[in-house]
Amino acid sequence: MNVLIDTKAGEIGELASEAISDIIERATAGTSITAYAEGESPLSWNALEEGGWDLVGILDDGEGAQLRDIVAIAQVWGTRLIPLPYLETVIAKRHSEIARSWDGPVSFALPTSTLGPGKQRYVPFGQFAGLRVVTALGGDSGQLIEIPEGRPAGLDLCARGLEVDVILTDFSETAARELAVVYAASSVGAARRMLELGVTFAKERQQFGRPIGSFQAVKHHLADALIAVEEADTAVIRASRTTEGVRQTTEFVVKRCIDAAELVLQVHGALGFTWEMGLHYYLRHMLTAQEIVGGLRNCP
Amino acid sequence: MTTVNNDVCAGDADLSDFALRAEEWLQTAVPVEWRESRGALSGEESDAIRREWDLQLWRGGFAGIAFPKDFGGQGLGLAEDVIFHVLAAKAQAPDGFSRVGKTLVAPMVVRSGTDWQKERYLPPLLRGEELWCQGFSEPDAGSDLAGVRTRAVRDGDGYRITGRKTWTTFAQHADRIFVLAVTDPDAPRYKNLSMFLVDMRAPGVSINDIRQISGAIHFAETHFDGVFVAERDRVGNEGDGWKIAMELLGDERGGSEAAARYVEIRSDLDLLFRTCGDRPELANALQELDERTETLRWHLAKVIDLEGMGGEAFARAVSVLKVLWSELWQVVARVGFEAHVPADREHWRYQFFESKAVSIYSGTNEIQRNLISERVLGLPR
Ligand SMILES: Cc1cc2nc3c(=O)[nH]c(=O)nc-3n(C[C@H](O)[C@H](O)[C@H](O)COP(=O)(O)OP(=O)(O)OC[C@H]3O[C@@H](n4cnc5c(N)ncnc54)[C@H](O)[C@@H]3O)c2cc1C
Repeated sequence: MNVLIDTKAGEIGELASEAISDIIERATAGTSITAYAEGESPLSWNALEEGGWDLVGILDDGEGAQLRDIVAIAQVWGTRLIPLPYLETVIAKRHSEIARSWDGPVSFALPTSTLGPGKQRYVPFGQFAGLRVVTALGGDSGQLIEIPEGRPAGLDLCARGLEVDVILTDFSETAARELAVVYAASSVGAARRMLELGVTFAKERQQFGRPIGSFQAVKHHLADALIAVEEADTAVIRASRTTEGVRQTTEFVVKRCIDAAELVLQVHGALGFTWEMGLHYYLRHMLTAQEIVGGLRNCP
Repeated sequence: MTTVNNDVCAGDADLSDFALRAEEWLQTAVPVEWRESRGALSGEESDAIRREWDLQLWRGGFAGIAFPKDFGGQGLGLAEDVIFHVLAAKAQAPDGFSRVGKTLVAPMVVRSGTDWQKERYLPPLLRGEELWCQGFSEPDAGSDLAGVRTRAVRDGDGYRITGRKTWTTFAQHADRIFVLAVTDPDAPRYKNLSMFLVDMRAPGVSINDIRQISGAIHFAETHFDGVFVAERDRVGNEGDGWKIAMELLGDERGGSEAAARYVEIRSDLDLLFRTCGDRPELANALQELDERTETLRWHLAKVIDLEGMGGEAFARAVSVLKVLWSELWQVVARVGFEAHVPADREHWRYQFFESKAVSIYSGTNEIQRNLISERVLGLPR
């Protein structure tokens, strides 16, 4: 019965997540996610590549970023969901030598729980120009291929995804597990951001002559959202530090993120229900993460 | 003799040593009759064991673990305190009666007490010789604690206290009580209160037992009828009572109780897996409870890690701790009860009733949510 477990990210995770945070905060300062979710990225791929940030996950003889470190980075990334295949590339280059040999962004073709057991796969950022798809994550084999024909995936719009009818990518057990954790972690970032937006809104929006955040029903919704975000954050840290039952844990993480998102939507009233307000982009990311985590459950 | 699972201490040598020492001590210290046949003990027998346990803790060097050495504590940290609570719960150690004194009175006296109070009260408290109880709630002042009406009126070199406190846990065993009382009825709310340290045996103090829904008697009503308390037993200045009470409520919601609760929840859940793990209709519920329980353990570890850094991340993590464990335990107890396992009937009946208290004391969970939203998220009052 162990209680004192180290939950902190390592130095790499601390440094990288702070740096990524600075970069994306600067790129998105003063803009809302609506400005770029379906439009041009506020950040160029080159900016990430020049800093070497796409290589941050590389393991050299076991040295380098641990999954816990990548969780710290993915959480930060999830707060803005800039439409670049950043997390995908980090994981691809972590688990594939051939992916490392390519300078540009790399993604893969994932099974998801709604694509069913056939050959359909989901390629995050499959619509992204210049992207390569790696055919094996984990192990020494695999190649890089150009993106095949497919249909745009409609749920996570920031991810510019494509649905294809070929399997394309094989995953080792470790790669599949890590991917589930990374998408769970970016969902936690998205949930944290939604909570932040909900709190700001509740302080500003006036009804009955006072801020809605002074009504206890609204306060308790947001307190419950914080409880969910905290629980999700802790659970994703746990998922990154263990190898057993990880996919079950990641499903729990994403579920708690969606719990928080629903509460934040409610707090926004009709505004939250609009496309324009843009909260749905974060929720879409979580719902997609849920499908991915569910799909990876039976993988390899 | 078994050794401590190395994971307990994440490779920290000092913590490992501490855990090993604690585990060894617990193995011999916990009374066999408590460990093996607690349910068969009479009320007096059980009280006697719990009473003795407080003295044992001191003799073993485990009283006031995270308390400063200068004041007779062990001078260790939250990590050691949590480890000890986990190991003690795991070893099925009794819960002494000195808990209120150690977790509430001691930090309060160190923070706001006089040198005389520190010298007079801390040593017997840590030795487990003087037991304390908490005189905050009143019939008309529960969540709205600032509405207490118990009066403390100046009388010579002290005060006379008159009023009625209620839900006083361990009043039956306590030697002393700390009382929040009105000293200045004309002062504005929050400025009218003071804190006093009162002898439970002083003339004018009397108690009435109150039976709880589980059938047990662990709290009481405490009456004060012109009870004299010397000025030197006032903590802080007149009018500081509210501030001192608020600081103290922060101590009440800390990590060591959560640690002990985690162990209890884990053991309840293990019982459920053993007896009902093969029931398909319970599979999803048990799986989710397992996730939540292990997340609680990691959350506690996260709180400890963040404590040193302070700041917003720590404030967030620690603020949700009580809601997390209390609501989790209530669900486990409910699922356990509803599983209707004949052999465990008494256990689950008791747990179900007992678990109803945890979302009420130390500030109800509604009040916790008010605090989270106002103090942590910064929403307007
Ligand atoms: C087992 C146990 C041990 C205890 N031990 C002690 C002790 O040793 N010493 C001591 O002083 N006290 C003790 N208490 C008392 C405890 O602190 C109070 O019960 C608690 O503060 C709630 O007060 P109340 O019971 O008067 O409920 P009330 O304050 O009357 O609350 C009733 C309901 O209304 C809700 N409510 C009240 N105000 C608000 C609000 N502003 N916003 C939203 N909801 C609200 C509450 O959440 C609750 O659901 C103990 C209680 C229990 C159950």
